[in-house]
Amino acid sequence: MFTERFLRDKRGATLDPNERGRIEAAITEVKTFGPRKIVARAGEPLTNSTLLLEGIMSRYLDDRNGLRQLVAIHFPGDFLDLHAFPLKVLDHDVATLTTATVATVPHAEIDAIADEMPQLVRKLWFATLLDAAIHRAWLFRLGRLDATGRVAHFLCETNARLFSAGLSDGRRFALALTQADLAEICGLTTVHVNRVMRQLREEQLCLFRSSLVEILDPAGLAARAQFNPAYLYIDDDSQLPSVQRPI
Amino acid sequence: MRDATDQLQPETQPGVATAEGGLVFLDGPDGVAATMTPEAAAGTGQSLMEAAATAERQQAAADV
Repeated sequence: MFTERFLRDKRGATLDPNERGRIEAAITEVKTFGPRKIVARAGEPLTNSTLLLEGIMSRYLDDRNGLRQLVAIHFPGDFLDLHAFPLKVLDHDVATLTTATVATVPHAEIDAIADEMPQLVRKLWFATLLDAAIHRAWLFRLGRLDATGRVAHFLCETNARLFSAGLSDGRRFALALTQADLAEICGLTTVHVNRVMRQLREEQLCLFRSSLVEILDPAGLAARAQFNPAYLYIDDDSQLPSVQRPI
Repeated sequence: MRDATDQLQPETQPGVATAEGGLVFLDGPDGVAATMTPEAAAGTGQSLMEAAATAERQQAAADV
């Protein structure tokens, strides 16, 4: 089943079997891209949206010197360019970071879903609003947190997202990103990320090696990151070891 | 949440710079996180010192 992880355990938006079946029926193609491949370019007219099935993808912008800022990361279960349905063109590039398998849903099919199942359209809208909530958290991360806080926040967020998708046990998850990727996510240099990862390890907060993240002290890491998972709208985030309740 | 006007106040705590592996790391205040070569760090430090001196003279002139 292609839609198994889409909106899994999302508050009030989890798909029922009919809705899941309708999206499955709308998929016209499943493709696999190699790592570091551009899947959609800014400004290109788009007629399809893409559901990520396996792998990690990114949205990014390059500055005038070609230096990259990743502005979003997508994991399996993310409908990653649903924005392109109403916008028809994107203002950023979309690329794979690892080998990635995606399912293609033509915009004409989403139009048909809108006519047939308005409640499902609200859930697709929920998915784009969830992306917007994550963007707000990324702005907070870059605007208010120091280097360690930024990396810690990203790791807490990724743990929570993957936990919701069934890809983390709440403390351990596979993450096939490089320190250069983390640098482009957190607005740091690679050497700064390297130093932060060592600091997190020495403080017994988190380990990241061989593409595996292990959170040793969930509450400590969340505190260091000022992380509260409320913006991820996970059905029961109390199951997350790192959960911090709003004061 | 702090009062909105607090957000507009200048930072009163200095950032912390450390050296490691032949590079300078500046962490804080708040969202500042930069890695610099020694030359860039020295130039930034010099510029900050000069600007701080100018700002102090401006404050003194305003107090007269």
